[in-house]
Amino acid sequence: MSTGAKKRIMREYGECMSDTPPGMKITFDEQNMTEWEILLDGPEQSVYAGGHFKLKLTFPNEYPFKPPVVSFKTKIYHPNVSNDDKGSMCLGLLRPEEWKPPNKVVAVLRLIQTLLIEPNPDDAIEPSIANEYKENRKEFDKTAKDWVKRYAK
Amino acid sequence: MADWDADDERGEELNTLQSIYPEIVVDSRHSFAITLDLDVVPARPFPVTFDADPSIHHLSCLPPIHLEITLQDGYPTECPPLLKLTASWLSPSILEKLERDGIALWEASEGMLMLFGYISDLQEAAETVFGLTEPSTFSSQLRPLLLDYDAQQTRDKFNRETFECEVCLEPKKGTVCYRMKNCGHVFCVSCLQEGFNNSIKEGDIDNIKCMSMDCGKSGKKKDRILSPNELLQIPLAVDVVKRFANLKRKKRIEKDKSIVYCPRQWCQAPERSSKYPKIDDITQIEEWESEDEVEDAAPPAPDDGPKGAMNIDRLAICEGCNLAFCRLCLASWHGDRQWCQSREANELTKDDQESLNFISQNTTPCPTCSVPAIKSYGCNHMTCFQCKTHFCYLCGSWLQPGNPYQHFNEPKRRACYRRLMDLATGEDVQFGGRRGAEQQAAFWEEEAMRIQAEELDEGSER
Repeated sequence: MSTGAKKRIMREYGECMSDTPPGMKITFDEQNMTEWEILLDGPEQSVYAGGHFKLKLTFPNEYPFKPPVVSFKTKIYHPNVSNDDKGSMCLGLLRPEEWKPPNKVVAVLRLIQTLLIEPNPDDAIEPSIANEYKENRKEFDKTAKDWVKRYAK
Repeated sequence: MADWDADDERGEELNTLQSIYPEIVVDSRHSFAITLDLDVVPARPFPVTFDADPSIHHLSCLPPIHLEITLQDGYPTECPPLLKLTASWLSPSILEKLERDGIALWEASEGMLMLFGYISDLQEAAETVFGLTEPSTFSSQLRPLLLDYDAQQTRDKFNRETFECEVCLEPKKGTVCYRMKNCGHVFCVSCLQEGFNNSIKEGDIDNIKCMSMDCGKSGKKKDRILSPNELLQIPLAVDVVKRFANLKRKKRIEKDKSIVYCPRQWCQAPERSSKYPKIDDITQIEEWESEDEVEDAAPPAPDDGPKGAMNIDRLAICEGCNLAFCRLCLASWHGDRQWCQSREANELTKDDQESLNFISQNTTPCPTCSVPAIKSYGCNHMTCFQCKTHFCYLCGSWLQPGNPYQHFNEPKRRACYRRLMDLATGEDVQFGGRRGAEQQAAFWEEEAMRIQAEELDEGSER
């Protein structure tokens, strides 16, 4: 990783520390600045309210020319998060072709918060969950809330 | 500071002027004479054209006008100031008019000091480029002067500024920044180089565009891929830009369904096309042509009938190996009058298929280098002409160079035992029955069963 990239990550970390978006806690290992751990609170107005989700944000070597990689370490029932042990996400500005270098981690975190409030079933990584979200919202809400109780407390 | 006599009104006025305009130069030939260069910076970019070229250039700065002022004895009460204006790009009539304006101002001032007022008037007039029409047409001889001056001033101004690079998020001096030609976004050169070099290295040429979030987000307008010329100005290394230009060209050719590719397997280069000339000088590519044009190009009608086949221009020439071939049947060029049928690139011609059949039926590949060998006469111990490997012509196995003939003397090798001299006379070179593909398959099957049987035997002996 270039020094420029490291400097930029440090700068963004500083910005996040001085002005942390509400509802999240960012921790960072001094030894390895390319991996951030984020503790995200389920937004009040969402089915994930009351849950605490651990996320891992990894900076690629080519950062900021390539987007950071985000994964949910806490299981979550959501159309845009892969339902496996990776918990990966790939949509919007997290896609390499849509990412632009001036985008910042804060923007990524905001996007994730927004997605918890309002999932995007048209750009889903889990088509069956997306389908349920669209066709049978009650059932979706029930499972999502159930998963919060089981995994995210 | 000149040492003017402050008791003289002229000295007092010039002293005041010099404190307002420190760039004033004192003319030593006369006791009360100064010169001053006045910048011509229009309030908004001034449109100009040059003779015989309708393209409009917008100038942010024009070369300064040079003002000489001499105050004679008797100024300001009796004598007007002597004013002389020079600027090579302004017509004498305009300069004379500006000089007359000064005299008129002196007359109106009725003996009061008026030079500061005059200079302010000139500066104000400069903001509208002295009332020249927009756009103004200049002689083409003035083209280098005006354009170079503007570019130099713009660059100097840019270099003095400080920009916040949105990629590294650091403030950078203009001297290490680059302004995008098309949209005007500014980034630091090292960020642009790092990002673009990476993308070009990975072949991701669609990413060679302005990095700003404001660019290409409108949805409608596609981001503009930068031109090689602009990449060189950033600057990116010539080799990198060449790779970029060639990748981009390749991509455009691949998108064009009307282009056929060389049928030679080892070449497969596209045909020569005037639409996509080979890139000789990357600095010449200032703008990529519109992409839509390429997408609209229709593939040639593949027509099996003789009528269609005769009607299209079938001659294509490979830009890689210069092979002349038919774009329809993909065989080497057969002339305009020959009827032919369209063929898929990976489909073999009748001739090719026959050659292949002949090779598989009538040759034995060298066990080392696989080159097909055919025997015209002689024994079945072969030496590969290419790699000198010894092998058996009948079964294709590798033979001990020291004792190649033992192979034909081992009874367990039923297919080859005592058959060293089979077909030695070369009378029957058509081996179809003996060396044909089917027989080879049968032989190997037999051999496999034999080996299996031997292994079983060995197993039971133990």
